[in-house]
Amino acid sequence: MLQLEDISVAFGGLAALSNVNLRVDNGEFVGLVGPNGAGKTTVFNVISGLVKPTAGNARFIAMDLLKQPIHARARAGIARTFQIPQPLHELTVRQNLIVAQKFGTGHSDPKRIDEILDFLGLTERAERNAANDLALTEHKALEVGKALATDPKLLLLDEALAGLETTGKRQFTQMIKQLHEETGLAIVIIEHDIETISELCQRAVVLDFGKVIADETPERIFRDPEVMRSYTGERSA
Amino acid sequence: MRANGILPAVAVIALYLLVPAALGHVDYVMSLIVAALTIGGIAVAWAMLGNLGGMVSFGHAAFFGVGAYVSALLTLDAGWPVFPAMLAGGAGAAIASVVTMPALRLRGPYFALSILAFAHIFRILATELESITRGAGGILSIPVLPTVAGFDLSSKIGSYYVILTIVLMAMAGYAWLRRSTVGLALLAMHDTEDATKVVGVPSTRLKAMMLALSAFITGVVGAFNAHQINFLDPDYAFSGLWTVLPIVAAIFGGYRTISGPLVGALVIYLVDQLVFKSFLPHGHEIILGALLVAMIVLSPTGLVPLVRQTVTLVRQTVTRGHHAAA
Ligand SMILES: Nc1ncnc2c1ncn2[C@@H]1O[C@H](COP(=O)(O)OP(=O)(O)OP(=O)(O)O)[C@@H](O)[C@H]1O
Ligand SMILES: [Mg+2]
Repeated sequence: MLQLEDISVAFGGLAALSNVNLRVDNGEFVGLVGPNGAGKTTVFNVISGLVKPTAGNARFIAMDLLKQPIHARARAGIARTFQIPQPLHELTVRQNLIVAQKFGTGHSDPKRIDEILDFLGLTERAERNAANDLALTEHKALEVGKALATDPKLLLLDEALAGLETTGKRQFTQMIKQLHEETGLAIVIIEHDIETISELCQRAVVLDFGKVIADETPERIFRDPEVMRSYTGERSA
Repeated sequence: MRANGILPAVAVIALYLLVPAALGHVDYVMSLIVAALTIGGIAVAWAMLGNLGGMVSFGHAAFFGVGAYVSALLTLDAGWPVFPAMLAGGAGAAIASVVTMPALRLRGPYFALSILAFAHIFRILATELESITRGAGGILSIPVLPTVAGFDLSSKIGSYYVILTIVLMAMAGYAWLRRSTVGLALLAMHDTEDATKVVGVPSTRLKAMMLALSAFITGVVGAFNAHQINFLDPDYAFSGLWTVLPIVAAIFGGYRTISGPLVGALVIYLVDQLVFKSFLPHGHEIILGALLVAMIVLSPTGLVPLVRQTVTLVRQTVTRGHHAAA
């Protein structure tokens, strides 16, 4: 459903992505891994439209993605979370979801919003100010909630699990797994934890210095010493 | 909570019944109130743009002037009835705002300044396009507001009702919009625009819509003014005062509230004209400036929030007093 072809991104002199190819099929769960600064978030920014690539093509279903403005990509079914949660300011948790649903899908369905709140354990927090009155876990949940409210076909999770303590992380992982199994949504997750990737993903793509250096099943990838060296950030000079 | 719902209703009834009953016979005061409401209408439109659209405009005179010219010329040269022409004036101002839309890409002070430049361009156009606008000499004998069901709307009280209705309708629309999902999205765009866009909000389109709406209201107010005073020239219609006074009024009254801009306009304009002008015929505007500064220092959010806080404080004190007595 998603296909990136030879995508390159440069920030000033820095090549953040070089000729990145990435394919995501219907219902797939893909892990995007790599050391800090490898360009993982930049891949999501290209897909969601926040960053314009300097070269390359991108298709989503039948759409020439790079021609579309950000909001149109959301409408077409691409949803993302932010690594640093970005709740919509001045709004309550529920209003965050209402806005995402109304603009992401074009209609309002309060029942669906209640379902999402319930699924993410945010029901009790629904009327709180989203920017000021939430704990980290709740912020992470709201990121996923905003994305789900747009009724996506492809969900991009940027370190949705990072920073959570062990129990919270386990619960969140199960929740995402359940979401994938129940909806058949295609998901790409950026995540550092090998176990989590192995548990969730059918395939993992490794980025290093803006290049794809592996695209395999998690078992194979995490057995490859070359990949593991880059993955843990060790570099041979 | 319930008092909050009753207060606006009481205010509306007072504005429609009490004010004309008490002051209707004092032509001078009535015309001052009409002028204050005219400023108030622009102030509401300006504050709406700032609050929901997140845009500070220094150029609302442009929309006021375009609305006035379009409506005046349609009635004079195309024989349009006054009220449809006033709506067309608003539409003309909204269309004029489309011309300024490249400025929407600019942020903060750059937007404010570029829209100020547009106001000057429109003033020059009104002066130079003599064959259409009659140039610097202006337009005389603009048709007056009509008589409807035997009620002469061009009278002092009649024009009071017309502008009051325009301003209250603008405020009602503003209040409704602010509570709507579009209003929520607009609010969220101020600080978290990217996050708002990625859930599907077409932010540039919404901003453009807000600008057009604000321009429309300002244009209708400009058109009203043209038919009320029956005269127009480029310097008057595009005067910077149509920008400055509403901003002062909105900030003084509380630009973040819906009633603040109107309250601010009534207080500022009436106090200035009835009090300061009498003992300082020249340069009384300077007191306005001082008042505004004092308000910003005392209560940066303006008069309406200040009054609300005071009322709450008094209520609490009274309640506490009751408890203490019991
Ligand atoms: N908007 C930007 N302007 C300039 N440089 C940027 C921008 N966004 C990212 N970069 C740079 O591009 C490179 C890749 O950044 P990116 O955020 O994609 O990495 P990442 O793989 O997500 O890292 P992390 O694991 O730390 O989140 C980094 O060197 C980063 O500093
Ligand atoms: Mg990142």
